[in-house]
Amino acid sequence: MAAIIARLASMIRNLTRRSRIEHDLDEELRATVEMLAAENVRTGHTPDAARRAALVELGGIETIKEGVRDVRSGAMLDTLAQDVRYGVRLLRRYPLFAMTAALSLAIGIGANTAVFTIGNSLLRFSPVAVSEPERLVDIGRSFDGLPIGFNPTSYPDYLDIRRRTTTLDHVYAHPLFPKDMTVESEAGTEKAVGDVVTTNYFAALGTRAAIGRLFLPEESDAQGASPLVVLSHRYWVRSFNADPGIVGQTVRLNRYPITVVGVAPEGFQGTTVVAVDLWVPMSMVTFVTGSTPGGLEDRRAGWVVTGARLKPGASIEQARADVAGIDRALRGEYPNQSHPQPFRLLPASPMADKMPLAAAALLLLGAIASTVLVIACANVAGLLLARASGRGREMALRLAVGANRSRLIRQLLTETLLLFAIGAVAGIALARAMTTGLMSLLPALAVPVHLSLALDWRVVALACSLAFVAALLSGLAPALHASRADVSTVLKDEGHGASARLRMRSAFVVAQVSLSLVLVFVGGLFTRALQQASSTNAGFDARGVEVASIDASLGRDGDAAGPSVARELLDRVRHIPGVASASLSRMLPLANEAMGIGLSLPGEVPRPGEPAQTPGSGNIVASGYFATLRIPIRAGRDFTDQDAAGAPLVAIVGEAAARRFWPGEDPIGQQLIVNGGSRPGASIRVVGVAHDARYRALDFGTVPYVYLPLGQHDTSNLSLIVRSADGRSVAASVRATIAGTRAAPQAVSLQSLDDLVAVALTPQRVGAYVAGGLGLVGILLAAIGIYGVTAYTVSRRTREIAIRTALGAQRGTVVGLVLRQAISLTAIGCAIGLVLGAVAGQVLSTLLVGVSPLDPATLVGAVALCVVVVLAGSFVPVSRVLKIAASDALRSE
Amino acid sequence: MTQRASLLQGTLDLLILKALSTGELHGLGVSRRIEQMTGGTFAVQPGSLFPALHRLEESGWLTAEWEASENNRRAKYYKLTKTGKRQLGEATEQWNRVAVAMAKALEA
Repeated sequence: MAAIIARLASMIRNLTRRSRIEHDLDEELRATVEMLAAENVRTGHTPDAARRAALVELGGIETIKEGVRDVRSGAMLDTLAQDVRYGVRLLRRYPLFAMTAALSLAIGIGANTAVFTIGNSLLRFSPVAVSEPERLVDIGRSFDGLPIGFNPTSYPDYLDIRRRTTTLDHVYAHPLFPKDMTVESEAGTEKAVGDVVTTNYFAALGTRAAIGRLFLPEESDAQGASPLVVLSHRYWVRSFNADPGIVGQTVRLNRYPITVVGVAPEGFQGTTVVAVDLWVPMSMVTFVTGSTPGGLEDRRAGWVVTGARLKPGASIEQARADVAGIDRALRGEYPNQSHPQPFRLLPASPMADKMPLAAAALLLLGAIASTVLVIACANVAGLLLARASGRGREMALRLAVGANRSRLIRQLLTETLLLFAIGAVAGIALARAMTTGLMSLLPALAVPVHLSLALDWRVVALACSLAFVAALLSGLAPALHASRADVSTVLKDEGHGASARLRMRSAFVVAQVSLSLVLVFVGGLFTRALQQASSTNAGFDARGVEVASIDASLGRDGDAAGPSVARELLDRVRHIPGVASASLSRMLPLANEAMGIGLSLPGEVPRPGEPAQTPGSGNIVASGYFATLRIPIRAGRDFTDQDAAGAPLVAIVGEAAARRFWPGEDPIGQQLIVNGGSRPGASIRVVGVAHDARYRALDFGTVPYVYLPLGQHDTSNLSLIVRSADGRSVAASVRATIAGTRAAPQAVSLQSLDDLVAVALTPQRVGAYVAGGLGLVGILLAAIGIYGVTAYTVSRRTREIAIRTALGAQRGTVVGLVLRQAISLTAIGCAIGLVLGAVAGQVLSTLLVGVSPLDPATLVGAVALCVVVVLAGSFVPVSRVLKIAASDALRSE
Repeated sequence: MTQRASLLQGTLDLLILKALSTGELHGLGVSRRIEQMTGGTFAVQPGSLFPALHRLEESGWLTAEWEASENNRRAKYYKLTKTGKRQLGEATEQWNRVAVAMAKALEA
């Protein structure tokens, strides 16, 4: 915004100067014509003829104007070129100054550009080969009642929305996550990432095939009906050498024969950031992926993102009302199967479920980057001021020989702009490195992600406008100041301007110290939050635990195997040598997903206006879950194999749930109505209370949490959790064991739980590295600032210090004199920084779970670091004080 | 009005400075004065005159101000600056040297 305003202002200034010249010229020529005409009238012409003759004599007025304009603009260019030449010469004469300034600017501009590059590619929704993407919407279930993100919908939800909507066209569905698949073709066997889409998907996106055809909306989604596959352009080039003959051929996907019908356009990856290799129709989901997580009929099993295109003329608000109406109708029709959370309709985005999170993370990064830019500007402004004081004489001389003030200001600003131009170019280069660095902080994700991080014109334009605004901000004050040089005083002595200048420089140093402290403090808070959230502090122990995603819904040959597969698998894994304990669960702790459930007490009548159920979260786990993750059970017992289908329904609750429903009572043996799992609305007996682990990385207050036994609740999408006895990986034997069971032949990937947790803690890690790293840079810059101010003070007071020394002042007193200034600047800076830091801590408190926004250790550490580094900056000039001898008093003038 | 002799490069600037050396004039006045000074040999066309006036103004040799003309119209009057006067002196000197040298060369 500021960039736009500054640009406008400069344009208007140019225009007004131009228009004044133009206006002047018009007047001058008109006056000349009138004078010529008047002469002609005197020699006997009629007024009309006189005027015509005058115009003829003058010749083409436009030609004259053109000639004058050339002269004028040439002159402006001349002075500009002069200023630039002069500026380059000066920068080369003071390389250290130029380098420090340009480098700090490069860091500031680079950081902003890097953040903008990432934001640009994440948030600007411009999917390739998708027509009118702004008319696309995503529909999910709201996330535990949280204001951000969403959970997937169930397949029946999708079908009902598609059937009943009046505002949406082409309602389609695809799973939240693509699947790994094995592709066998003449080219060999390899792994590919495949998305499963309803056949109207491509029609909804308005995408046309590069070769062959895409799926047609009239093709059936009935299971087994359309054994077809569409390849991505990238995959087609990579694995099939861009051979158009592949269309019409048959390949085997997870051993199932399927016909290639076409290739998607180059660059097309649907509406997501996930780079998918191929698309198969929903009719193939049980055949080629071996999984229908939660099935095609289960109303409560959310696994698909429902998308659609707004009907022409329909607004997103109308679509929201429409979908909310469908939700209400469904609740009426299926009271026992309804999902506790309502539908949520959002504009389609590359990361439908995580969009607000990404936006928040970018906002944080943007705030950090802008702070760095402000620090850099303060630093450069300080340096420019310092130089201005050295140039007071030059300015006064030039004023004395008749240079005008605006010309001097223009020249000083040109120099500053030149500096910032260098900073911008270096910043763009640095931004490339920073972008790569930032992306490397992101953990390896299970699916390939393709983000376009190209340096497009928006990024360059941003860097340039940032540089321009920064140049104006930090160059104007020093330029005004320097050009105000008073001829008589400056030529005689440094005069009063000097102390005003020192005040200004001190203010810049204080700004630098305080903002750097804020960054270091925030970086420290994030580091503490990371420590806190690391698995040992999160209420469970992830060290030595490995996790495999499995799908127990289908057997190897597509037979419905069900829970027995899971039980058999768990049994075998527990007997692997080196495995200490193993369990199965629907959710993993600290993963950014949740199973939303509704909770109520039997016989509890909700007060009017209050929801009938308390929203909570849950998990479905096998026995041994708590032992495997080392989550303490505070009271009661763990699940056992006896908690099976026919046995009384049982649950284990978290401590927060126990406090919420039975404050001051013993929860063991109490009844709770759980709307979730496979027995919605059933009254369940509490058999245990578990310590509340950190269920999500971004906790917005602890939600009531309920564990349900796997034996009593069906779920096929499971994580196998294995703790090894000695910390050594048991992945190989676990993989072999899975291959030997009747579980679906998916490509099974094992990851350590620590890695998975690392994914969840990405915002904190990025915050810690970026704020911390840039904060350190800021502190170093502040140290340079302190160095400059102190050195300047020492040089100004050399005479005074020498006299004091000569009169017998103690070394300590003299040093104290100089040091006092550095200390007071640092102290003021730190005080302001602490206040700002406390505010920042409050703002970020949702990301800082488990850490007080005023964490004393971080506070003390940041301040100590700041004080030490910054005061170190004053060491050199202060040590110079000690070398001042009495005789220097005479020489210092 | 026709041009009776073409101007050498740089001559126009010198003629303008000279025309203004006796006092301020507006554009048309400068043109008339040059015609008068050269006995009608040079008639400066407006297409060359005005750009030259503005160029000299940008160079800081002339300043311009809006004033009332002889018959009470507003006109833009040009005036020599201090540097303009110095420039006139230097250019005159140089021109004289060139003229003498040229004359000698052509007589030889």
